[in-house]
Amino acid sequence: MKLMDATEAAAPTAERQPPVPRRRRRAIGLVGALATLIVLMVLSVMIGSKAIPVPVIWDALLNPPSSPDQFAIRDFRLPRTIVGLAVGVALGLSGALIQALTRNPLADPGILGVHAGASFAVTVAVGLLGVRSAQGYMWFAFAGALIVTLLVLALGTTRKGSSPVVLVLAGVCVGAVLGGAREALQLADPDAFDAMRYWNAGTIAGRPLDVVWPILPFFAVALVLAFAVSGPLNALALGDELAVAQGVRVARTRVLAVIALALLAGGATAIAGPIAFVGLMVPHVARWIVGPDQRWIFGYSILLAPSLLLVSDILGRVVLRPGEIPVGIVTAFVGAPVLVALVRRKKASGL
Amino acid sequence: MSSTPRARRGTALAAALMSASLVLTACGSGGDDSGDKAAGTRSVKAENGTIKVPADPRRIVTIGNTNLPFIDLGGKPVGVTEVSDSELDVLPAKQKAAYEAAEVVGSNGGEVDLEKLAGLKPDLILVQFHSKDWDKVGKRLESIAPTVSWGLDTEWKAFAGEIAEAADLTDALSRQTADFKKKVAKIQKAYRKTIDDTSFVDVSRGDWSDPGTFYIADIGCSEIARDDIGFDLPEAAKGKDPLAYESLPFEQIGELSKYDVITYPVDAGGRPAEPFVPVTKTNSWKSLPAVNSGRALGVFCPGNNSYGPVLRYLDSLDRALATLAPDDAN
Repeated sequence: MKLMDATEAAAPTAERQPPVPRRRRRAIGLVGALATLIVLMVLSVMIGSKAIPVPVIWDALLNPPSSPDQFAIRDFRLPRTIVGLAVGVALGLSGALIQALTRNPLADPGILGVHAGASFAVTVAVGLLGVRSAQGYMWFAFAGALIVTLLVLALGTTRKGSSPVVLVLAGVCVGAVLGGAREALQLADPDAFDAMRYWNAGTIAGRPLDVVWPILPFFAVALVLAFAVSGPLNALALGDELAVAQGVRVARTRVLAVIALALLAGGATAIAGPIAFVGLMVPHVARWIVGPDQRWIFGYSILLAPSLLLVSDILGRVVLRPGEIPVGIVTAFVGAPVLVALVRRKKASGL
Repeated sequence: MSSTPRARRGTALAAALMSASLVLTACGSGGDDSGDKAAGTRSVKAENGTIKVPADPRRIVTIGNTNLPFIDLGGKPVGVTEVSDSELDVLPAKQKAAYEAAEVVGSNGGEVDLEKLAGLKPDLILVQFHSKDWDKVGKRLESIAPTVSWGLDTEWKAFAGEIAEAADLTDALSRQTADFKKKVAKIQKAYRKTIDDTSFVDVSRGDWSDPGTFYIADIGCSEIARDDIGFDLPEAAKGKDPLAYESLPFEQIGELSKYDVITYPVDAGGRPAEPFVPVTKTNSWKSLPAVNSGRALGVFCPGNNSYGPVLRYLDSLDRALATLAPDDAN
C-alpha cells in the first residue's frame, strides 16, 4: 500500500536526515497522496454495486445522459464521490486540529461534543419537529454542532484562559448530558429513532450535492483559519509558556482553531452523519509520515482522510453486492487494522 | 386453556343467529351479551396448542396482526392493539369505525396492558405477534381468556381461515373466498396473453428503507399476483431470504430495464406512495423504457393479510392491466 511505503520512507527522515531532503521527501509524499486520492476518486466513479461498463461511464460524463445507467453515474456515483471528498477533507483536517489543540494524539473531533450536538439537534428535529428529509435536518445538525462546540469553548475557558484539559472535560461532560437527553427522546419516540438509524451510521450515499454546496463556504473559511493557526499551534505544542514567549496569542489561537474545527466537523456531520475514526486515525498516520510540523500534518490529513473514506465507501459497495454498507461502518473495519499495524511497527508519535 | 370460562358465556340460538347476521351485515351493535346461557365450546388448532374456544365468542380482543383481518371478516373487537396510521388510513369507513370503537389495549410492538385487557372481560383473545412477545405475555393472556395464537410466518389465506374459524365468522369468510376466486379467474381470463408473455417486476420502498434505496417486492401483494394469478415475477431462490429483504441502491434502478412491465405502489388516489416518491424522482427511473412507454403501473396494495384488502389490490391490478394495450405485452 502506498500509505505504508510513504511511512517507511519518511519516518527515518523525520529522525535523522537534515531538513532539506526531508522537505523534499515530504513534498514527494504529498504528491503521492494526491495521486492516490485522484486514483480513488476515479475508482469511486467506476466501481459500484452495479457493474456499469467503462464506455457507458465515459459517455455519461461527457455527453448528456439518456440511459438509466448514465443517469446513475451522474446522479449517484459522481455526487457521492464529491461528497466523500468534501467530508473526508473536513474530517481529516478537523481531526488534525483537535489533536494539535489538545496536544492529545487520542483526541478526535467528537471529543468537543460535535457529534453529540449534531445528533441531539437531529433527534429534536426528527422527534419533536417532525423533520424527515436529509436536507431538512442537515441544518439542525450543523447548528447543533456549532452551538455545542461554542458552548464547550465557553465552559472550557476559565478566567486564567483556556486549557486543553478543561476544554476536553467540558466537551465530554456536555456530550454526556446531550447523549442522555438524546437517548431519552429516542426511547420515547421509536419512530424518531428509526428515522435516525441510517443517519447515525454515517453515509455519503444518497446525499444530493444540493446538501453539500451550502456547506462548502464554511469549509473554505475553516481551511483558511486552520492554516492560519497552524504556525501558532506548532509553538503551542511546546507548552503555553513557551508559546507565549514566542509571541503566540494562546487564547486567540485556541478560539480560532475551535471555530475551524467546529465548522469542519459540524459540516461533515451535517452532510454525512457521524463518521468516527477517520478524524482520529488520519492525523496519526500523517504525523508518522511528516513529523510534528502542523502545516504538513494538515496537508497530509486533507489528502489521506478522503482517501480512507473513498476506499471504505468503495468496499462498502462491493462486499455485499447488490446491497451496500454505509461508509461509517466500513471506515472502522478498514482503518482499525491499518492503525493497529502501524502502531505495532512504529513508536507511536506523541504530542 | 379455557381455565376461567365465564359462567355467563354463551347465547340462546336465536340471539346467536341474530348477532351473526348483524355482524355479517356489519351494522350490528355487537357485544350485547344479555340473556346468555352457558353454551358449548369448540376446539381450534393454533400455534399454542389445541384451544377450546367459546362456540359463539362475543367479546373478542385482537392483538398484533389479528386486528385488521378480524375486522375485515366483519368482526367487532372489544379490544385491539395499535395499528399504524398508514394502515388505518386505507381502511374502509365501516372497518375503521369498528376499529375505533374498540378499546386500545397495547402498542403495535407487542406490549399489552394486561390489566386493561382483563377489564374488558374478553371471552376470546386472538394473537399474532413475534414469538418473543408471546414468551413475555402468552401465559398471562391464556389466564385471562382462551387465547389463539399464530406465528408470524402463517400464510395469509390460512390465517384468514383460522381467524374466521376461531371467531365463528366462517360465513363471511366463504363469501370472501368466493369473491377472491371469481376475481382471480376474471383477471386470468381477461389478460391471459399479457400474463403469459410479459415479464413483470414489482418494486417498492418502505418508510423504513434507507435513503437512496429501494427493493424488489417479491413478498406482499405481488406474491398473490405471482402465485395465484400466474404473473412472471422475480422470486428468491429456494431457501434464500426474499428479495425484498435486500435494500438496493438507486443505481440499481437501471437493472429494471430488463423487465417488460414494472409495478410500483400507489396510494388510494393513484399517486405514487409517499415512501416511493424518491424513486420516481430519479432520472434513472424516468429514463427506464417501461416508464417512458406507459408500462410502469401504479398498483394499490392496502394489505395482504386478509381477503378484503387483497380484493381491493386485485381490483387495482385489474384497472392497471387494462391500461396496457394488448400488443404492449410483447
